[in-house]
Amino acid sequence: MSQKEHWNSRLAFIMAAVGSAIGLGNVWRFPYICYANGGGAFLLPFFIALFTAGIPLLILEFTIGHWSQKPPPAAFKEMNEKWEWTGWWASCIPFLVSIYYVVIMAWCFAYMIYAINLRWGTNTESFFLHTFLRVTEGPLEFGGMSIPVILGLIAIWTMIFLVLYKGVERIGKVVLLTVPLPTILLLILTIRGMTLPGAIDGISYYLTPDFSALKNVNVWLAAYAQVFFSIGVAQGIMITYASYLKKTSDINNNAIITALADAGTSFFAGFTVFSVIGYLAASQGVGIDQLGIAGPFLVFVTYPTAISLLPAAAAIFGILFYIALLTFGIDSAFSMIEPLTAGINHRFKITKEKITAILCFVGFVLSLFFTAGNGLYLLQLMDHFVANFGLVAVGLVECILIGWFGPLHGLKNYANKTSEVHIGNWWLVLIKFIIPSVLILLLALSIIENIIHPYMDYPWFVLILVGVIPLVTIILLSILVMKRSQKEIV
Amino acid sequence: MLPVSAIIMLLVGIIVIYGSLAYFLFIAFRKKKNG
Repeated sequence: MSQKEHWNSRLAFIMAAVGSAIGLGNVWRFPYICYANGGGAFLLPFFIALFTAGIPLLILEFTIGHWSQKPPPAAFKEMNEKWEWTGWWASCIPFLVSIYYVVIMAWCFAYMIYAINLRWGTNTESFFLHTFLRVTEGPLEFGGMSIPVILGLIAIWTMIFLVLYKGVERIGKVVLLTVPLPTILLLILTIRGMTLPGAIDGISYYLTPDFSALKNVNVWLAAYAQVFFSIGVAQGIMITYASYLKKTSDINNNAIITALADAGTSFFAGFTVFSVIGYLAASQGVGIDQLGIAGPFLVFVTYPTAISLLPAAAAIFGILFYIALLTFGIDSAFSMIEPLTAGINHRFKITKEKITAILCFVGFVLSLFFTAGNGLYLLQLMDHFVANFGLVAVGLVECILIGWFGPLHGLKNYANKTSEVHIGNWWLVLIKFIIPSVLILLLALSIIENIIHPYMDYPWFVLILVGVIPLVTIILLSILVMKRSQKEIV
Repeated sequence: MLPVSAIIMLLVGIIVIYGSLAYFLFIAFRKKKNG
């Protein structure tokens, strides 16, 4: 039973939480968001968002897990019989994310091997889109499946299974390698990057502040969205991980350390990314604006181009870069499966070995949909909907239920009882008023934006099929499971 | 050379993030609590 499991040490828990929070987004999202939203001036709203939303939400989720000692569905049920579905919903969201997140990791896996002989050549964009992914003209054209991606998927899903099936003790051991290793690699890559010509210009783009951007409300919303997506809340992961803590362990300080480590990695990754981008811009005589500096294009087009241009040890630089991404991603990936594994293990009494094997197999089969020629389109579309609607909605419901109808005061007192750092009434205000307000604003803006400008102008039925239906299905499934539980009790 | 404003933001980032992290890590590992 999952409740009997505990972390080997406090360090193992912090490492697991930090490893879950730090992922590919720290490398390919934060630096770009910072650059695009006022450069160094963005740090101000980012810090405010971190301390007024990221840390308070993380404290809330750690407290729920620590207090209930149960996975999300049972934890929510313990607060109110009718809330069990929220826990299932929150647990299904990261599983949905893992289906396409693992695909990106499979790309990294393949590129790690390609880096040995810089197989992407000089036209990296063509290699990525046409040779590697065999991308078709649009989301409706399937095309052929990419064999290297399928092989990568088998490798990554097998790794996830091997880490998870033995339970939380093995997670605790694995993260002692997968958290420090990419950080050290990032440090090596940054030192190398900073010695390249043009690197300082790149850093200058990253950090030179444009304080007029702070007058723009979208910059502030971007900061809150960045913190919210990066820190790994509203996915049931942190509740599940905290449920493995011993009753005497700290809550508040662990949450602060996790959030700051995540923010520190994002800030540092900016130097890794922009030093190399500065070098590439200088080498090609183009402006930084003309280079792909975010998302998959940064990692699989811009970075390989820069790696190929390196004067020495290009292959080693490339291999280290993709190993860093893989190790950043792997602990996030297995943390995405754990909430559902723990929830099913607890509710249906299926052994962890069995349910982990089933979920990894199902995940692998579903991931195959993203290996076809239209995989890139579907992946970006699903991510757009899951992040902007799924995650934000779960966070909002969590804050409203617990803040307005749940034992928020009790949770505050409970957290303070075992914590080194105490939280005051300001935390109640943030959970009840500030964070839900920001999330409502983010959700409303996303809905309006998507109605006015449908994502990438794709046909409506594609948006509904790939974006809306999976999200609605998991809500319905969550309610169905809860109803069945209630019937069994009656 | 980095512009002065960028250097200031760099220092702000380092102090706020890594300074706070160091402080809270110090608190965590000063008191011996079990995980």
